[in-house]
Amino acid sequence: MAHIILIEPDRVLAATYKQGLEASGNSVVMCASAQAAIFAADEKRPDVIVSELQLIGHSGIEFLYEFRSYTEWQTIPVLIHTQVPPAEFSNSWSLLRDELGIHEYMYKPLTSFQQLQRSIAACLNSTIPVSV
Amino acid sequence: MADREQTSVLSQQLLLSVAEQLKLPLLQLARQAEIGQLTKKPDLQAMQATADTALRMLDNYVLGVRMALDQYQLELEPVSVSAVLYDSGQELSRLARNYGVDLELHIGGRFGTVMANRVGLQSALVSLGAALIEALPALEQPQLKLQLATHRCRYGIVAGLYTDTQQLTTEALRHGRQLMGGSRQPLMDVTHTAGAGVFIADSILKAMQLKLQVSRHNGLFGLGTVLLPNHQMQLV
Repeated sequence: MAHIILIEPDRVLAATYKQGLEASGNSVVMCASAQAAIFAADEKRPDVIVSELQLIGHSGIEFLYEFRSYTEWQTIPVLIHTQVPPAEFSNSWSLLRDELGIHEYMYKPLTSFQQLQRSIAACLNSTIPVSV
Repeated sequence: MADREQTSVLSQQLLLSVAEQLKLPLLQLARQAEIGQLTKKPDLQAMQATADTALRMLDNYVLGVRMALDQYQLELEPVSVSAVLYDSGQELSRLARNYGVDLELHIGGRFGTVMANRVGLQSALVSLGAALIEALPALEQPQLKLQLATHRCRYGIVAGLYTDTQQLTTEALRHGRQLMGGSRQPLMDVTHTAGAGVFIADSILKAMQLKLQVSRHNGLFGLGTVLLPNHQMQLV
């Protein structure tokens, strides 16, 4: 069982993913914003973070820079699960992956829940980031 | 000619914004169906509300385009703002429940009638409301209340939707209009979506010679439009 912080600004989607992840035995904290995710991680250290990049006010990338600035959170695996299509990252992906320790990028509209579950399981069993 | 080209660019940008926005309810449906199957607990009511939201958005978009293209006869009629706000609230109630947002109706007082197109006005308010309902839970320290309200101002009667979102500023709306179609999140401080509902409302109101603007009501921030009172009906 893993403790997951799910950063998802859409409440309906967040509740849907939470239901699925909890049904498979995980504990999930839903956060709609970057700030809420920082507070949640401070309260209980997550095993993995699943984050959208399109948030209100701050982008998910800004959140990750802040998150990684804390030494105790530098090794927590992060999965990007976003509506932002891969084409928009083609040039900067490897830089972001290396700098921010992103485990995997998933394009949300084309990623099934089961794929997400497999990716969460894979990143919990590995510490080496995989490419997009 | 230049006007026509500008209109064409604007409608393409609106279409792009609607296409981006439409991904959200479709994604919700796909995942609700998938997880419902896995957990053997499909939430059919939530799925129905999601599908209805998407259909309503498409309908409002089509109405806006038809109005802009003069395919839809814009008949002005004496309209009760309170009644339109009440009906808009009814249309939005299921979406609001899905997002955990409380809808409040502030239509007390005698406002008489205004000259407007009832269908157009209601569609614009519902579009705006849907956009705000989807955005509210994602804001910092959200107060999950949305007021459908009307009040008098020096230019007429304002009908709008209000919440305590301080990010709803004239500047944010102006930037959003400029970025529509060009950015995937044109109203970045207000919503995490493409904000198509706001731009659809904008286009419908524009077709009715009205203007979407930032407005305040009882200390709350919101979006609304100023309507001219129908003095003839007031005399009757």
